[in-house]
Formats: sequence, structure tokens, C-alpha cells
Amino acid sequence: MMRTALVTGAGRGLGALAARRLAAAAWDVVAVDLDADGLARTALRSPNMHVRTCDVTDPEAIADVVAMAGPVQRVVHAAMISPAAPALEQPLAEVERVLGTDVLGTVHVVRATLPGMLERGRGELILCPDHPEPGAASAAAASAAVAAYTDALWAEYGGQGVTFRCCRTPPGVPARLVLDAIDRSLARPAGETHVELSGGTLRERLSRAARRPPAATVAPR
Amino acid sequence: MTSAVEAHAIQGERVELPVRIRDAAVASAMFAVPADAARAVISYSGLDVAEPLPGRAICSLAFVRYADGDLGPYHEFAVAFLVRPPGSAPPTGALGRLSGMKGVGAFIHWLPVNQEFTLEAGRTIWGFPKELADIPMDLAGRVKRCAVRFGGRTAIEVAVRSGAPMPEGSGAPKVEAYSCMDGVTRRTPWTVTPSEVRMRPGGAKVVLGDHPVAEELRGLGLDRARALSSSTVGHLRMVFEGAEEVRP
Repeated sequence: MMRTALVTGAGRGLGALAARRLAAAAWDVVAVDLDADGLARTALRSPNMHVRTCDVTDPEAIADVVAMAGPVQRVVHAAMISPAAPALEQPLAEVERVLGTDVLGTVHVVRATLPGMLERGRGELILCPDHPEPGAASAAAASAAVAAYTDALWAEYGGQGVTFRCCRTPPGVPARLVLDAIDRSLARPAGETHVELSGGTLRERLSRAARRPPAATVAPR
Repeated sequence: MTSAVEAHAIQGERVELPVRIRDAAVASAMFAVPADAARAVISYSGLDVAEPLPGRAICSLAFVRYADGDLGPYHEFAVAFLVRPPGSAPPTGALGRLSGMKGVGAFIHWLPVNQEFTLEAGRTIWGFPKELADIPMDLAGRVKRCAVRFGGRTAIEVAVRSGAPMPEGSGAPKVEAYSCMDGVTRRTPWTVTPSEVRMRPGGAKVVLGDHPVAEELRGLGLDRARALSSSTVGHLRMVFEGAEEVRP
């Protein structure tokens, strides 16, 4: 039986690769993004992938996509934005856009898909906010909110057959390593909601370490 | 040389050569098998197996996830044998055998895939022996696993353990891939650029089902043999040129 996956942010990056891997594994993939050209590239020569141009900030549009998709077994929600801007100078409209996309977008996607999963007693809800980075304060706030939301969902709906995962993806880590970590996490106990990104080659780990801010800026007070 | 681009119409799409694979992941294992038995298995191609050791041929099992490439996303399983280039004389003596390994190619004996587009493209463009199967695969863990099933019946299952990391950037080896479909043997120039490579001796487990190819592999002793080596490639780029007919 063909399983259906909904992948948001599928026009590029992590979402695009997630959609392609699921399509390769013979899932029926509903790929969602605002970027129609990006979606077309993702779905090239992939007959079991269906593209929907859709804004995750529009709850009705998301509900329509899910209604058309049929029972969704897995959600990979990667439609996140994280524009860099000094915290005190970022225009309020942009802060609202970040929170609207990353936080409310997540809420809309979850509300559209989780009820069906609970009804069927199975499903995987994988939320992929960007890892908090210095210089993108609103996205960092959104990332923390999505992480907390994942834990709250597990606290409220855990143990009913639905797996919840939050994978905060640092910039510069190849999407394939992030998706490998997510795949491995799905074999772990359901209550381990946060995906550990241990992986990468030594070189990648070193280059990540080199980009880390000085310890003083992140030390607890 | 001609400047005209070779292109094929596949399911209403124009596929231009060379075909490029931008991201794939692979796990594979190599086995030493009785040369005479292997020779009999591929005799339909007119090609002859390479014998790096007297009386032994090399059979390779591989499973591949194509995530980003010109043929779309799909899973593939491959049974291949190392073969001598057609027309070359069988090498003699130990030194001859080793130097004779330079020009060896990979004869693709069986190549099930799980998507229609690549099925048609592979058969039409290169004469690759692709057929449609269910090919579940797990490439994320330390043990990489794959099965090939037809209508729920398992033909083969392979598990490959991760080995030690190999140095990066060892070039882009050019390989000749050979295939034989409908009595026509073809050679396809094939470039592979692997990274995140891990290797180890042994490390593979093979379970054979009741498919005709599984029977052939059982005849070669693959379900009992210890692999010569196992390898995994985290990120692989490949280029396939057009095929040309060869008359061995």
C-alpha cells in the first residue's frame, strides 16, 4: 500500500531533498511550497510526487491540500524563514512575517494533519525549524517556539501512535545528514522528540565548530 | 565528433545525454565467486569475467538511492560482474592477472528499480536490464539494508555494515558499464565521483529468495560466502554517456 507524505518547504533545501527521498522510497508525496518553479524542479520526472503551490500561513489553503491528499502518514514541515537582522532594528512587519510563517505556519500544518493521524492511531509529524543563529533573533524565537510546541504536542497527544519530532537544523549542515539523523531518530523511543544531529564528517564538524560564536556570548549568567 | 546532442523521448519528456546524477547514496559488497559458474551466468552477453585470482571472478551487489538526478528519484538494486574488455586476451600468470585488471568493466546482470520513468529510460537509452520491483531500503543507520520484492515475495535481502572512513577526493574514476538486452551487448562510459566513503573487509549478509536471479546467486554461493569487502558511499555523483554496441 502506498503511504502518503506531506512535505512543506519542498521547493528547495531540506524540504526538496526530503520530498525526493520519500518519492524514491515509493511514497505518494504531496510537495508544498510558495515557489512554483522550485516545486517543479523538485518533482522533475517523479510521477508519484504531486505539487501544490500553497502558503503555510493560510490555514484554509493547508486544510484544502490535506483534504485532497487523503490520509497523511508522515509530515515533514520545513517551510521556515529566518532572515538575518539586528534584533532591535528588524522591521516589526518582518518579525511578524517570521513568527507568522514559522510558528503559526507550524500550528496550521499540525492542526490540518494531526487529527487524522490520531484518528488512525499512526503517523509521523516532523517539524524542522532552523537552528537559532546569532543575528536572526526573530527566527531564533520562532525556532524555540516550535521546539516547545513539539514537546507540548507530545505531552498532550503522546502514546497514541503518533511520533513527534523536532529537528532544529543548523546552517551549513548538508540536508542529507539532517535527513539521515531524522530517519535514525524515528527508530528511537517515541518520547525522544528532539533529533540529535551528531553526524557529519570530521571536517564538517570542525567547520561547524569554527563558526561557533565565542563561548562568552552564549554562557549562562 | 558530432556536436548534436543525443536525446531520447521517455514518457513524454526529452532526456538529453549525458545523464547526470547529482545526489545518490550507495551500499555495496563484493564477493569472490567460482569463475566458471559466473562465466556461465553471463555467457548470454558474449563477455568474459575477469579473473583476478585463478578460478575466481568478482560479483558485486549494490543498492542505490537516487535522490537528485535526471531520471527522477528512485531506488535501485544491482547485480554486476567484473568483466574483461571485449577483444582482450585472457591474462596469464599472476602479474598478467593484476595488470589485466586495469581495463575491467562492470557487466550489469540485473538492475531492478522501483519507478517507471527510470525503468523506461534505462532500458531504452542503455539497454540496462531494469525491471519493476518493490525496493525498501534503509541507508541512515550503521547497518544499511535493502530488499527486492515482487508482489510481496522476497527475491533478495542484503545488509551491509559501515566500515572505516576512506580519504576524500580520490578523483572521478571512469568505468565502463556493460549490459546485454535482447541479444545486443552495449558499453556505457560511466563516471563516478564518490564522497563520504567507508569500507571494510567482509561486513555483508545476503538472504536469497525464490527469484530466478536469486537462484543464480545461490548457485554462486553468495548466501554462504563472506564478502571480500563492503563499502558505503554517503554522497555520489555520476555521469552516464550514451551506450555503444559492442560485438565481443
